[in-house]
Amino acid sequence: MAVTADSVAVISEDAALRQARRSQTQDRVFYYMTMASAAFVVLMLLGVMVSLVVGAWPAFSTFGLSFIWTQKWSPVKEIFGALAPIYGTLVTSVIAMIIGIPVSFGIAIFLTELCPQSLRRPIGTAIELLAGIPSIIYGLWGFFVLAPLLQATVQPFLIGSLGNVPVIGMLFGGAPYGIGLFTAGIVLAIMVLPFITSVTRDVFLTVPVLLRESAYGMGMTTWEVVRYIVIPYTRVGLVGGIMLGLGRALGETMAVTFVIGNSYNISPSLIAPATTISASIANEFSEATGGLYTSSLIALGCILFVITFTVLAAAKWLLVSTEAK
Amino acid sequence: MSISSSRKTTNTVMLSLATAATVVGLFFLGAILVTLLIRGLSAISPRIFLENTPPPGSDGGLLNAIFGSLAMTFVAIIVATPIGILAGTYLTEYSRGSRLGEVAKFINDILLSAPSIIIGLFVYTVLVVPFGHFSAWAGAASLGLIALPVINRTTQDMLGLVPSALREAAAALGAPRWKVMTNVVYRAARNGILTGVLLAIARVTGETAPLLFTALNNQFWSTDLGAPMANLPVVIFQFALSPYDDWQKLAWGGALIITTSILALNIIARSLAGKQQS
Repeated sequence: MAVTADSVAVISEDAALRQARRSQTQDRVFYYMTMASAAFVVLMLLGVMVSLVVGAWPAFSTFGLSFIWTQKWSPVKEIFGALAPIYGTLVTSVIAMIIGIPVSFGIAIFLTELCPQSLRRPIGTAIELLAGIPSIIYGLWGFFVLAPLLQATVQPFLIGSLGNVPVIGMLFGGAPYGIGLFTAGIVLAIMVLPFITSVTRDVFLTVPVLLRESAYGMGMTTWEVVRYIVIPYTRVGLVGGIMLGLGRALGETMAVTFVIGNSYNISPSLIAPATTISASIANEFSEATGGLYTSSLIALGCILFVITFTVLAAAKWLLVSTEAK
Repeated sequence: MSISSSRKTTNTVMLSLATAATVVGLFFLGAILVTLLIRGLSAISPRIFLENTPPPGSDGGLLNAIFGSLAMTFVAIIVATPIGILAGTYLTEYSRGSRLGEVAKFINDILLSAPSIIIGLFVYTVLVVPFGHFSAWAGAASLGLIALPVINRTTQDMLGLVPSALREAAAALGAPRWKVMTNVVYRAARNGILTGVLLAIARVTGETAPLLFTALNNQFWSTDLGAPMANLPVVIFQFALSPYDDWQKLAWGGALIITTSILALNIIARSLAGKQQS
């Protein structure tokens, strides 16, 4: 009797030990699986960097660093320079920011300070839905609706009025093509709205109620509270949100490809057709023949990666430092 | 008196401008959706779902493109979901405070907003050049790489919402850590994680740029993932910029299909996320 009880105890102790060991192994396997997955994400970014540099190497070694400031882009003569796409990328993004930032701030101010509580969620959601619309749809709309509209109305007006002013006139010279830097900038402005707005609204909401109420208690108007209390308090986060939008605008591809006009001329006019880095790649990559041509397009991608990486890293860093506050 | 009235005027002007900005934002959303509905609805017919993309000048639909998009999205999500969830698990559960974890989170956020065309270039050099031809596998890989950071990030956010007490209670009952994760924490965060997957599908559905030089396009019906495959975004791009009326019409039809499905996914994801937080 005693013997059996003993052996039962031994067996169960044994089983418990085995069970514990098994779950230890399982734990370790699970841990390594999660770690491998996280490492995979990091490896992918490294892979992107390495593949871009390797792919761009023939172009960089042929043209040297002057690739960046050469304007000529001639697949026939195999001479390539990135200046025109870089110029287009920067100008369209700047136009997008000039239009997008004030409008996004306006929406955020409306949503946090003015909007009746019951409308906040629906309006906020509607603006965020703008972010869900894929970029090719913006491209279609820009190409078939916005560009003809601008061509018929806004652009002739700009050319007729501002076009005759000295100096500024240069920015609005030429014929109204409809497509070009200006149109691409407007489409980009609409596309970055939801990104900047949602960050702005979120950081506006981090302002302590006490601070806001003391300001109102001092007799400040709503605008003064926003201007002198809310904006200074959230400054860093606002810049982060803007950088996030800028990162989007710089790398945006399809919407711009539709409306940019694909021209390698650098014209002082803002309404002239141009090209951007991403639009050049999208338009030409699958048709590029010859190693140097392909490599030059990858080199463009490499430059774009460096620019967007810097902007996004800065945005991230600024936003993290506000969260920590 | 005049100072206070000028302050009041500034206030009124600025607040009106803020309201006007909101109206402008909503106007553009409305304008885009209305254009899509008007031009898209006139192109939608049963035929669009039953016939393949036509040569210019004849009738047809988008069947092969719809199939291609679904197939590539399916493969991409099937692969990206487990990796994304596990990576998110590591970053919230195992790497708290470690430098490696911080770097991985940072890199994931960079990938999340990196231009998709660059992902396309990467996949092109890794999966198209070595094999010598475009393929749907390469297309699915680039879509997967775009979905991965979305799922990873949402998993991180949602696991962060699960109270620690739940983990501790399960651990106190003697459950090993992986069982705590799979049986308790994942279950508690199920709706949230599902939201991430839906958002990833929505994000991937409209991606065009990376498919241009990975999956390319195919005019015919094809189920071979090793060959170029038609897909909605690239077909829309090609058809919209063509000079043929019937191709442009099909492009609008495709655009309406894509946007409707993406907005529907977004709305479902939102309601799920709402449930998660309550």
